[in-house]
Amino acid sequence: MIPTRPAQASFRDRTNDFRAAVESARRHAAPSSSSAPAAASSSSTGTLDGLIAATSARSEFTNRASKIGLGIHQASQKLSRLAKLAKRTSVFDDPTVEIQELTAVIKKDITALNTAVVDLQALCNSQNESGSLSKDTTNHSTTVVDNLKNRLMSATKEFKEVLTMRTENLKVHENRRQMFSSSAAKDASNPFIRQRPLGARDPSESSVPPAPWASDSASTPLFQRKKTNGDHGASSSSSQPFAHQQQLAVQQDSYIQSRAEALQNVESTIHELSNIFTQLATMVSQQGELAIRIDENMDDTVTNVEGAQGQLLKYLNSISSNRWLMMKIFFVLMVFLMIFIFFVA
Amino acid sequence: MTLSLRRKQLDVIVRMLHLNQQQLPNGGEGQGEDDAYKILVMDQPCISVLSPVLKLGDLRLHGVTLTLNIDRPRQAVPDAPAVYFVRPTPGNVDRIAADAAAGLYVSFHVNFSTSVPRPLLERLATACAAAPPACAGRVARVADQYIDFVCLEDGLFSLAQPRAYIALNDPAAADADITALIDAVALGLFCVVATLGVVPVIRCARGGPAEMVAAALDARLRDHLLAKPNLFTEAASAAVMSFQRPVLCLFDRNFELSVGVQHDWSYRPLVHDVLGLKQNILKLPAEKYELDDSDKFWVANSWSPFPKVAEEIEAQLAKYKQDVDEVNQRTGGGKVGVEFDGTDLIGNTKHLMNAVNSLPELTERKKMIDKHTNIATSLLEHIKERSLDGYCDCENDMLVNGTVDRNTLLSLLRGKGTKEDKLRLAVTYLLSFETPPSSELEQVEAALRESEVDMCAFQYVKRIKALNTQFAAASGTATKSNIVDWAEKLYGQSISAVTAGVKNLLSDGRQLALTRTVEALMEGKPNPEVDDYLLFDPRAPRSGTGGQFKGPFREAVVFMIGGGNYIEYKSLMELEQHSQPSKHVIYGATEILSGAEFIHQLAELGQKAGLGGGSSNIPPGSAQ
Repeated sequence: MIPTRPAQASFRDRTNDFRAAVESARRHAAPSSSSAPAAASSSSTGTLDGLIAATSARSEFTNRASKIGLGIHQASQKLSRLAKLAKRTSVFDDPTVEIQELTAVIKKDITALNTAVVDLQALCNSQNESGSLSKDTTNHSTTVVDNLKNRLMSATKEFKEVLTMRTENLKVHENRRQMFSSSAAKDASNPFIRQRPLGARDPSESSVPPAPWASDSASTPLFQRKKTNGDHGASSSSSQPFAHQQQLAVQQDSYIQSRAEALQNVESTIHELSNIFTQLATMVSQQGELAIRIDENMDDTVTNVEGAQGQLLKYLNSISSNRWLMMKIFFVLMVFLMIFIFFVA
Repeated sequence: MTLSLRRKQLDVIVRMLHLNQQQLPNGGEGQGEDDAYKILVMDQPCISVLSPVLKLGDLRLHGVTLTLNIDRPRQAVPDAPAVYFVRPTPGNVDRIAADAAAGLYVSFHVNFSTSVPRPLLERLATACAAAPPACAGRVARVADQYIDFVCLEDGLFSLAQPRAYIALNDPAAADADITALIDAVALGLFCVVATLGVVPVIRCARGGPAEMVAAALDARLRDHLLAKPNLFTEAASAAVMSFQRPVLCLFDRNFELSVGVQHDWSYRPLVHDVLGLKQNILKLPAEKYELDDSDKFWVANSWSPFPKVAEEIEAQLAKYKQDVDEVNQRTGGGKVGVEFDGTDLIGNTKHLMNAVNSLPELTERKKMIDKHTNIATSLLEHIKERSLDGYCDCENDMLVNGTVDRNTLLSLLRGKGTKEDKLRLAVTYLLSFETPPSSELEQVEAALRESEVDMCAFQYVKRIKALNTQFAAASGTATKSNIVDWAEKLYGQSISAVTAGVKNLLSDGRQLALTRTVEALMEGKPNPEVDDYLLFDPRAPRSGTGGQFKGPFREAVVFMIGGGNYIEYKSLMELEQHSQPSKHVIYGATEILSGAEFIHQLAELGQKAGLGGGSSNIPPGSAQ
């Protein structure tokens, strides 16, 4: 009777008792009608049948909400895979291609989910404003949308952290590579500078991607850096034959490189500052619900509602007792009669 | 494996919120119905069951969007499943049937906090059958959850059955009422035991409500164990197989009355007694605070005496100020003239980021310090106003040393303090001496009357003592045959236990008779105090007395019928800490009463027994 399951069960499932009781009640109520037993048997064969019929009639809102929820869940699973990959990298075995693919996929997913949530919010607002739904339903839909937004935001934060970790790992690898191969490494010192022909123009122009913090996710400048790393890895081997010809130009190059480094640092600092501001903003808005206890609102509303009910009842009593009403009307009539008599007579 | 009642209750509730489906370890790939956003509908007692354990933020995590009260008018949310968590009463059942007929929600998962009796289930079924055919299909599940107790902390629970003491000791109470109360207590204890998942060995004193509750619980457990599979086999097969069975010790409030009324000097009992802590919520005139396991300061300092608590608060405040100064210094805020290295951009940003990350933690600490400072300040005001320290010292003297300074006693009775305080002191005085000299007694009574204190409670306790001395000579060896008038036998044992404890000074300060008894029961060695305690073992075959498992036990559940309080909880916690292989004790009662509330209950009983005249302005004892 009780389905065996490995989960901790400390409750008794009485559903079967209930169904049996419903059937017997139906049989007692209408022993001659044939439709009732049929309905009863259909309900007893599978609780899911009725539910499936009900779920197909679920509104568009719920369907979309559950799809978004599923999407967020899958995105966070992919994120955990990415995190594992990013941690695993060593100097010589760098699954860069895999990581880049996965990052691109996740980025696409998150942006798609973001637009979906925005759409859902618009749908929810329009439904609520149309006024045809009950107050509970509007509360329910708003809460669902908020919940989805929170989940998406935490997924995005996790994504950003994974990417930051990946960048730091890359930096560490570059330093190690520098230690191992120092001769050709002068050109390879800064992994964030694109390989340029020597004596070229100010490298600072090209290495600042346009307004990285204006875009939605934090990953664009990091993408570009990763791409340069990939390019750079291919071209470092070809620079060795040219090393001795470029001794003179090296000092000038190093000066330019250090300036470029400084600018890169400025950029990352500004970026981190923007992160701080967003974090502050979310912290301020999140203070709300987390620590409220369930029975707090209940108590207050209970007393308010009861007080209001009492007042209303009193008022109802006062206006429904006929005696006073009659006397008031009588009095008003008398006043009119008096005035009438005075003026006419 | 230590029993954590609160965690187990939380597990059950979470599983209920996930529609009682199997919790897959990695969050579940096949989401389906499990991922739906649901509505939670509860009635008032079940709201108080849920509140200490889950907050609104946690509920949102589990996918609950709205929490509604079943008694309030609700509107339809046509595409969400609803989880009902209610007590099995006819009113609730009717309302559920009405909701199902009206189709307020898409599916109904009905969970009852204890077992729903058969007639109610049939009532629900008939109502659903009479409605349109889709109605019964909407009810997806009906389950009994067995969590009808309020778990205030990890080791403290309350059955929220108010005025149990009055009902049990009322001379005019009908037998049917008492039986109903005993059954309710046994059902509540069954819920606790079922949530813990192990069948305990029950021990209780002879005679009195403890024996009746033990017998009822034993019968219930035996009936339940007959059906296989049952709650306990499933629990045992799931988690760690614990071969240790706990011992369930049942006590009645009359076993040690003095603990119920005395004043204590530790932080938590003070807050409960003076400021009125209910369900872990403290309402001060200015603010409302919550005090539970998540508050680290509360957990660390709840059993320390009050002056030490004040010192701790100051220490924490100093440390907090230091941390804030450090953060300010590193990021250049605060004092002018602190050197600020403007050129080191990266370093500064890093410091700034660290500062921002540590902001939430710092605000939390500040809030906690503020909260406890406010609590301590208001406590201090009350203490000064009522000179509670004098009461504590005097009672301590009387109970531990057995001496009384007549002058201090009388001056306290005439001096500051509310009427309840004076009554409590007088009752403690009565209870600490077997035969107080009558001149002193008269003086005490005169002083009480001077302060216009209602004498009902005092007279009631006096009468209990008188009964005791009458039967002390007659009670010889304990008999196990039919106990006609259990009241007198019970009082005889209780008072003798208390006085024996007073005379038996232990080296590490005074131990409550309750703690001593529990320790003896857990040790399992032959001990004259507990040898004649009854033993019920639901797992043993009913016939024959072979194989009685008397201990030693590593875990115990102590239950007080009639009103427990934090002082007993504190001494049980001390027992747990000092015991040498580590033991674990869970404490529970029908309700958690403060001293003032218990005095009110005593006074009410005195009035019912027709003792004491004078002004009778006793507000009904409120309990949690």
